[in-house]
Amino acid sequence: MTTAVATARSGPRILAPAIRAVGFVSGWGKGPGAIPADARVAAGGQDVVPLGRPAVEGERFRRATRECLWALAAIEAMLENGAIGRAALAGDRTALLFVTAAVYGASNRAFIERSGGGTHFAYTAPAVVSAEAAIEFGLHGPAALFIGGPPATLRAIWYAATLLAGGSCDRALVLAVETFAECADLYARARRRGAPPLVEAAGCAWLEPGEGRLELQVRWSPRDSSTGIEARLGETFACAPLAELAMWRQDGGAGDLRLHGRWRGEAADLTITKGGA
Amino acid sequence: MPRRERVAVLAAGVATPIGQDLDAFWSSLLTGASGISTIERFPVADLRVGRGGEIKKLTRVTRWTGVPDCRATRLLVSAADELTAQVPLGPADVEPARLAVVVGTALGGVEEGERALAGEGPRRRLRGALYDAPGHNLARWLGARGHVLTVSTACASGATALGIGADLLRQDMADLVVAGGYDILCRFVMRGFDALRSLTRDEVRPFDRRRSGLLLGEAGALVLLAREADAGRRPLGWLRGHASTGDGSHIAAPDPDGRGLERAVRLALAEADAAPGDVDFVSAHGTATPLNDRIETAVLKRVFQAHAHAIPVNSIKATMGHTMGAAATLEAIMCLLAGRHGQIPPTRHLEVPDPECDLDYVPGVARALRPRLSLSTSLGFGGCNGALILESA
Repeated sequence: MTTAVATARSGPRILAPAIRAVGFVSGWGKGPGAIPADARVAAGGQDVVPLGRPAVEGERFRRATRECLWALAAIEAMLENGAIGRAALAGDRTALLFVTAAVYGASNRAFIERSGGGTHFAYTAPAVVSAEAAIEFGLHGPAALFIGGPPATLRAIWYAATLLAGGSCDRALVLAVETFAECADLYARARRRGAPPLVEAAGCAWLEPGEGRLELQVRWSPRDSSTGIEARLGETFACAPLAELAMWRQDGGAGDLRLHGRWRGEAADLTITKGGA
Repeated sequence: MPRRERVAVLAAGVATPIGQDLDAFWSSLLTGASGISTIERFPVADLRVGRGGEIKKLTRVTRWTGVPDCRATRLLVSAADELTAQVPLGPADVEPARLAVVVGTALGGVEEGERALAGEGPRRRLRGALYDAPGHNLARWLGARGHVLTVSTACASGATALGIGADLLRQDMADLVVAGGYDILCRFVMRGFDALRSLTRDEVRPFDRRRSGLLLGEAGALVLLAREADAGRRPLGWLRGHASTGDGSHIAAPDPDGRGLERAVRLALAEADAAPGDVDFVSAHGTATPLNDRIETAVLKRVFQAHAHAIPVNSIKATMGHTMGAAATLEAIMCLLAGRHGQIPPTRHLEVPDPECDLDYVPGVARALRPRLSLSTSLGFGGCNGALILESA
């Protein structure tokens, strides 16, 4: 049986979300303003630019991993960016879409190399990073977790737009966290020489129903060149589009928004055109 | 919520401990054949429990040329081999840029990380340890050049993958989607669940008063999704609705009241434009842990109210173990096969009723019933919940 299928068409366009707030923290510091002009120069020879462990108080966080705490910090930064109170987030009308390529690496490695108990094992699940955020901020709505680099983040934004357009939620958070320090030696073995530094980062965007159009296209090109954001920011895997989004907002958020990401030979482009059609 | 277009399930493929094609899988479910055995592929002598649903040998695919030496990838390719035998997916059949892949997993390529840390194999094995590696390997094997997604809502991943695959089609971002889930048995996950004391030394007894935990299993399960208008052949059935939600309650245990699962079920029903009374059959997550089965029962009673006792509910996890990222996709396939064959597979090892689990769980033997509309529920670490509404052809 042959399935008759049309040839490739131009990318679909769906109702785009409005971007109400973006929080971003990285090994360079807080906010997009801390991002240097040249990551290689700023790294000064470091392979990994770390974030450290954020100061979060509370007994509940005693055993939480630092990647979980950075997820909370990214959401706090987003609330600060939008001058929004915590209470506005809580409830079952807030969707949480978490994206990461490698955040589970530290916990996985520790569990493999040491004899960890049940609680330690639970923290190896990527879903636990977003679960800590959901518990802390009282998020009980639609949820999904995308694994991959920048194209996965662009797809999370698309999926947020889908949930918003379908009425499944009133707001959607796209959250990304990447940490590298615990596996720095492994990355040094696996990455090509001369690659930009790995920069630990966490970001979160607050999306709500908007009026523009969103278009997401992918193509496969192993030779797709590095993006400008990577040269400035370093490699932050899934966090890169949120850094771009934060910079766009810092610059006034005027005009159409174009985000680009590449990963494993896939190049993805997301465009949000303001004001319809 | 507006009703969304139903999506056709054109074909399916499985690699499981009870069969490496749909026929063997289905007949084992009906007859009660067991896929549980002592694990032989890696050492388990130091664990409390060393049994599970292990696939002793992958028999369907005999030549692995071009396929990485990665068990997770090979489970997916084995399932895809059965799927593509039903519906070819070559460049002459579908524009590669319009063929998407969405897979769900709890563990990704974690065993590749274990092997790399043990000093086994080439440097590139580390890239295989990232959780999206098996999905990309599958896309390469299929020749897919559309969207390639890996989702990881823990043990609900196989449901989330099908739902997002359907959304790609509804929004015209692909013409065909290979969607499903996978996970393997490895030291990492066996040690973890052993440490959690979640594994039983007894049989897996979903909804039984004596239930004492789960056993793990490994599997790959895929379906081919298409828009109804593009189906071009009689499908296995349709995916009518989906929702994935988060509890926001606890990092590992489900919400004790099941509120997140209830929201997922209600959202999925709304997307399917179906009322609770329309549902003929429920495939429960049914892990046989004391908490899970009690919560699921309570949620089903709240959603279905007086109708709850009239709906047959089963769990197939006693047969092959909890296959984690593959489980929800396998259970969705089971729902559609039940509609096709007019049989509901039984819940194995359910012998002593639990007063707190008092629904009709199809104990003992298969039941003659042809469900039209089925609900499949899933729960996972991190408070992940998934619900699918499936319609038989």
